[in-house]
Amino acid sequence: MLKSSLKLIAIGVASLSVSAAQAQQSQQPEIGPAPSFDLPDTHTIQLANGLEATFIDFGLAPKVNISIQVLAGNVFDGEHTYLADIVAGMMEEGAAGETSEDIARAFASMGGDMNVGVGMHTTSFSANVLSEFGPDAIRRMATIIQQPDLPDSEFDRLLQNQIRNMTVARSQAGPLATEAYVGLLYGTDHPYGEGLPDVGEMDSFTMDLVRQFHVDHFGAARTRIYIAGRFDQSAMEAAIRDAFADWEAGPETGVPPAAIRPGPVVRLINREDAPQTTIRLGFPAPEIGTDDAIRMTVMNALLGGSFTSRLTRNLREDKGWTYSPGSGITNRVGSSYWTFNADIVTEHTVEAFSEIFDEIQTLQLNLPDDDEATGMRNWLSGIFILQNASTGGLIGQISSRDFFGLPDDYLETYVDRINAVTNGDISSVASDYLPLNDMVLVIVGDLDSIEDGIRAFPQLADAEFITDSE
Amino acid sequence: MSNRYFAVLGALALFACSEPATTPATGDNTETQSTVSGLQVDVSYHTMENGLRVVLSEDHSVPTATVAVYYGVGFRNEPRNRTGFAHLFEHLMFQGSENLPKGDFDSLIYGAGGVNNGSTRFDFTNYFEVVPSNALEAIVWAEGDRMRAPIIDQEVLENQQGVVTNEVLVNVINQPYGGWIWIDLPMLANENWHNAHNFYGDLTDLENANLEDVQSFFDTYYAPNNAVIAVVGSFDSGETLAWIEREFGNIPASEPAPPIDISEPRQEEEKFGEIHDRLAPQPALGFGYHMPERGSPEYYAMAVLDQILVQGDDSLLTQRIVNEEGYASGVFGGINLLGNMYNYNGPMLWSVGMIHDDGYSHEEIMATVDTVIEGLRTEPISSEQLDRAITKLRSEFYDIVDSSSRFGLADLLASFALFDDDPSRINRIEQGFDQVTPELVLATAQEYLRPTNRSVLRVIPDPDGTMSENPSGDGE
Repeated sequence: MLKSSLKLIAIGVASLSVSAAQAQQSQQPEIGPAPSFDLPDTHTIQLANGLEATFIDFGLAPKVNISIQVLAGNVFDGEHTYLADIVAGMMEEGAAGETSEDIARAFASMGGDMNVGVGMHTTSFSANVLSEFGPDAIRRMATIIQQPDLPDSEFDRLLQNQIRNMTVARSQAGPLATEAYVGLLYGTDHPYGEGLPDVGEMDSFTMDLVRQFHVDHFGAARTRIYIAGRFDQSAMEAAIRDAFADWEAGPETGVPPAAIRPGPVVRLINREDAPQTTIRLGFPAPEIGTDDAIRMTVMNALLGGSFTSRLTRNLREDKGWTYSPGSGITNRVGSSYWTFNADIVTEHTVEAFSEIFDEIQTLQLNLPDDDEATGMRNWLSGIFILQNASTGGLIGQISSRDFFGLPDDYLETYVDRINAVTNGDISSVASDYLPLNDMVLVIVGDLDSIEDGIRAFPQLADAEFITDSE
Repeated sequence: MSNRYFAVLGALALFACSEPATTPATGDNTETQSTVSGLQVDVSYHTMENGLRVVLSEDHSVPTATVAVYYGVGFRNEPRNRTGFAHLFEHLMFQGSENLPKGDFDSLIYGAGGVNNGSTRFDFTNYFEVVPSNALEAIVWAEGDRMRAPIIDQEVLENQQGVVTNEVLVNVINQPYGGWIWIDLPMLANENWHNAHNFYGDLTDLENANLEDVQSFFDTYYAPNNAVIAVVGSFDSGETLAWIEREFGNIPASEPAPPIDISEPRQEEEKFGEIHDRLAPQPALGFGYHMPERGSPEYYAMAVLDQILVQGDDSLLTQRIVNEEGYASGVFGGINLLGNMYNYNGPMLWSVGMIHDDGYSHEEIMATVDTVIEGLRTEPISSEQLDRAITKLRSEFYDIVDSSSRFGLADLLASFALFDDDPSRINRIEQGFDQVTPELVLATAQEYLRPTNRSVLRVIPDPDGTMSENPSGDGE
């Protein structure tokens, strides 16, 4: 049987729609109660030197995901932005007499690379290897973390790599906008407000700084290990005790306190002839773990943080002015912030701001209807399963809970707390935390086309404007 | 429906080690199967009367279900004056259907606690959802409504022309390096227009698309006999099959799309191209070699060569260029940069790319690359090298199949159903690796890593936009 051909009546008014022969009005099947989902059991041990290790039994593939997280991230860079990255890179260059090539081959033979990632707070060593090699991977990672060779011979090359990467990052509108944005929120004298290092600044890095950073910021008491997947727990535990028990606790630490600043402030960065405008718009937000933080989570999903959010529907699905707008909350120690970001076609940038401000104000003044708000609570509850349905996801969720010192049952109670957020809560946190007259805003784009329109907004009447060219 | 039953494995668990694979009862697959180690995926396969192929794979470890609908249409099929149309059409399929006006489809999925997306690739366009299992029946209904009766009018066409234009701007035109290695390199390397056009779309072609194009494309390609639905996760197969029959069974088949010739001639001379990039701060270099036919012994050998040359910190090009020469921070590459080595069906490149320092010519860099590659073309690799490469391949394959969304598994099952009419092929992938020998790797390198089988593309920084006109670069 052939599909009946659908006739167009006239271009411009007709549409691809169903013919009479195929019409089939039907009702959506009911969606029953959500399935129950329990987080996997975890088991944590602590060694005498303070190192903790958490075991998460999960998954089907015969693999084990190992993450060793040391409190030695960029927040400890001091005046040398991205020093932690150079240290991490140098640590991969050989340990206890083995070269980087030896190490790379050893991990490849186990079915995985060892990766070192530097975040704002931690430097993480991770390897996702075939299960049978888990204990061997632990032993090798322990050697790399405790006894890196830090060979002088590799320093110049790694520094050049970092400089090259920074040069490329600075040619992209997104990283430039984010750098300027965090600088406005925290000031550039705190690592939270440092974006990318300047190339000239990196020339001052030395091997002495690298060695000192390792001495000052690595140690057992600042380290947490997460093991997730399919593994032999007693063998993995024995490997951890064997490889880490003799390590010194290391220097005590604390994240340097940071103060977050509200606006009103606008930074304009010119990118001549750019076809799109890249924006970061935000405000300080309640700290993770507070009642308002969970309310902000639901508000964020509804306003800009999901595909069905108001800002996405408006700017993308209604207007077609942007491809992938979004909003989210970033958590730091002692503070958090909410950000809306988008790349908007230049010719509609000013109109888009008008829509963004209207959407925020509308939510502040009117409670969302129950269908919309319930949809958002359901979405957050449902994706919580997905967020915890992989070894990497579980490690991320559990380590974040541990890092921010949240209650042990934080994840177990998360869905209930999401569902307890009322429609009124959503509007009230929008009012409390998104004051349009105090926004922090960064715009990277073709200023000739957009600057006058931006400056005319009454919401920015009291804002300090900072203008510079790219 | 369900008139054809392919391999139905007994084990419900996704991974049941050392389970012997059953031989397909019927069909075009003549490979005999021995006991395989490692991965065994539960596969149940059915073809409905209207031609819709259905793949079901149960795994109850997490209470979610992943639904993936694949249509046998991709970049290669789009009309000549409508580059980018397959992708634009993908966007249009999200704009509403008879029983789900615009926005309601997304609301249904998000409101149930799920996520959805779609993508367009060389040989398919897919639409997928990951939802808590309780929403599966509703999602099957929604995908059926969308296949049977999407509603696409001038307003949504114009809206999505704007969205897609913004997508191209943010991913290509307002980005340094834009689409150099995934758009421009295939355009340089391939001879056949179907493989060698700008598949993200020239902006004028996107602007010119009209509702007649939409109608014609839908009539030709969006029919059950040109589609696969894969459902993976926690559900009951019998019940789900009944839902699929109810929602899709009465959608009429269409006349099969006219076949297109996508073959590429054997490349006999090395090709060179360059792009002048206004935004790139440093030069870049990419090169690609035409792949052996998918599924052939040489294809698995190329997968081994890919691991040896460019995957992971131990790879030869990483060791040589990043660690020894030091003019690049990293070297990346692989088979099918827009997917993986499994989910395509036609001519394909094995590609490598790097951003490198000024002061190094492409001749100099390629000479270094050649010292590495020529070694593999003259001496057989050691068994230790082969074992390590296969361990990496197997580990990577498990990661694809065991992703949290289960999308990786649904993708492979749907691809193998669409391309090979044989989703249980997933259980024979590891055998393909195991049959690779050092001699086969040598012979494959000799034929497929010939310099005359490759195309080399340079990206040259052009901050003032003063260099010569650039026909295939980021200036369109």
